[in-house]
Amino acid sequence: MSYADEMTPKERMQAIIQGKEVDRLIVSPLILNFASRSLNLTVREFCTNGKNMGNANIACFKKYRHDIVYIFSTTSTLAEAMGTRMYFPEDDAPQVETPFIQTREDLKNLQPVTPEKDGRIPVYIEAVKRCMEAIGDDVFIVPVIGAPFTTSAALRGTEVFIKELYTDPELVHTLMKIATQSVKNLIDAYVKEGGVPATVEPVATGSMISEKHFREFVLPYLKEVYAHIHSHNLPGVLHICGKTKRVIQCMAESGADILSIDNINLQEARELVGEKVCLMGNISPADGMLKGDPEIITTMIRDCIAKASNNPKGYIVATGCEVPIKTPHENLVAFLEAGRRFAQLPINLSC
Amino acid sequence: MQMKSDILDTLARAVIDMDIALVQKTATEVIHHKVDPYEAIMDGLAKGMDTVNELFENEEYFVPEILLCADAMYAGIEILKPYLPKESTWNKRKAVIGVVKGDTHDIGKNLVKIMLDNAGFEMCDLGRNVPYSKFIDMAGELKADLVCLSTLMTTTMDGMQVIIEDLKKAGINSRVMVGGGPISPGFAKNIGADGYAKNAAEAVKVAKGLLNNTPLDLLPFSIPKLVYIKREKGGCIQ
Repeated sequence: MSYADEMTPKERMQAIIQGKEVDRLIVSPLILNFASRSLNLTVREFCTNGKNMGNANIACFKKYRHDIVYIFSTTSTLAEAMGTRMYFPEDDAPQVETPFIQTREDLKNLQPVTPEKDGRIPVYIEAVKRCMEAIGDDVFIVPVIGAPFTTSAALRGTEVFIKELYTDPELVHTLMKIATQSVKNLIDAYVKEGGVPATVEPVATGSMISEKHFREFVLPYLKEVYAHIHSHNLPGVLHICGKTKRVIQCMAESGADILSIDNINLQEARELVGEKVCLMGNISPADGMLKGDPEIITTMIRDCIAKASNNPKGYIVATGCEVPIKTPHENLVAFLEAGRRFAQLPINLSC
Repeated sequence: MQMKSDILDTLARAVIDMDIALVQKTATEVIHHKVDPYEAIMDGLAKGMDTVNELFENEEYFVPEILLCADAMYAGIEILKPYLPKESTWNKRKAVIGVVKGDTHDIGKNLVKIMLDNAGFEMCDLGRNVPYSKFIDMAGELKADLVCLSTLMTTTMDGMQVIIEDLKKAGINSRVMVGGGPISPGFAKNIGADGYAKNAAEAVKVAKGLLNNTPLDLLPFSIPKLVYIKREKGGCIQ
């Protein structure tokens, strides 16, 4: 590549955290299930087997040298480990089939997870272990956890669950407490393996619920999650896709240090919360990565860096949401090349 | 008649307030006081739902509110339905709606269905994870005026194009409206859709426009003159 890196992704990240000088901004497309492509695995083969999940991410990193390696298949993995039944398409991310909590009675059987044995969490743990061993010296390994509101929605069924914000707030809080404990257990398990867990809360997006409900039902539990992550001396990462303008202030109050955002103007986000948090985003996965071409993607990257690189608390060049599994290889290469080129410090967009 | 207008206002207000019990009580009064049940639906319940639509558009109401308002509206319709004249004079436009195969996220689809239903469409809901051929079969069988396709995932959005092509091949001339997280106006146009709606509120306007024979180039595609097009609404990892 024309803009060769001087530091390893891990050195860069560590320097940024310690406030030292770096060569460029972090460039981190959200490569999740897309990693399966590096070993020609179907998504089902990838996400149901720890060896596959680990090895595919290792191969993917060796191919692209992206700055963060994420371990992820679906936001419902934690709910699945607590009892929700999933549907596994042949070559796509798993989706909720039958939520675990059908009636209040089912609450009796709901327990916080034991990560070592519940659901597919052992798959994730093995993937983290393999990555740590093979590439852990070069890059941070970031397993992604469905945050409490998203996990609760997958336990109850999203449509039923969000209505209960009005009709049964007590049940919502009960689920949120157990889900929060599960998230904390999972954080501990991943940290033990050397992972740096990140959390995603897409069901609490501003396209779904109001700021009032976010404050009442989501924020207190997110605060607990990030306090827990901070107790491990790690930074908190919060990803919410969809429209987030209405809730971004709350996101910034959660204690998360980095907000990964999707459908919001980065400049606006910078003005709203840039004094408090590092921002991450927001190249369009559909119009850019999947349907775009290298030229469009380069324009998008330039545009994002122009809007956010002077964010007081920092900026990470990223996609707004998951890199689609059918993203053409050359589009991802274009993302990384344009990222490395325009993210060189000091920023010079006419380079 | 003071009482009648009070009853209609209460129905509308109760829908807006998500108050199922009040809707049910008031619907019973409609019967009791021999108020025209059709009027109670149109000028009471549906009128309330129109306001809900506006509140949603103005981002004062969100998804939980719409779902609960719709529950209230349907609770009222349930009570009033048996009292409607058997030979309905409603000449409803027919719409087939569903989430395309591979995707089980159906909240967005449900919101559009509620809004179109309220706007006077006869809705045939195929549900979620719907095989392509089912859209073709039902659109043909019902002679549907409109086919509405939804998806939240980038992996399934290409299925919309297959459905549009198959509809044409089968000689079905239903108009097609698409929407959902990863869908942009540009994508909608590229795959040959007749209309794109960024949310449930807009879906009503687009659907009505499509069926009023508005020339296609005046429909709300409004492709921005940018190098690329931003999505209006997202939420894509699942």
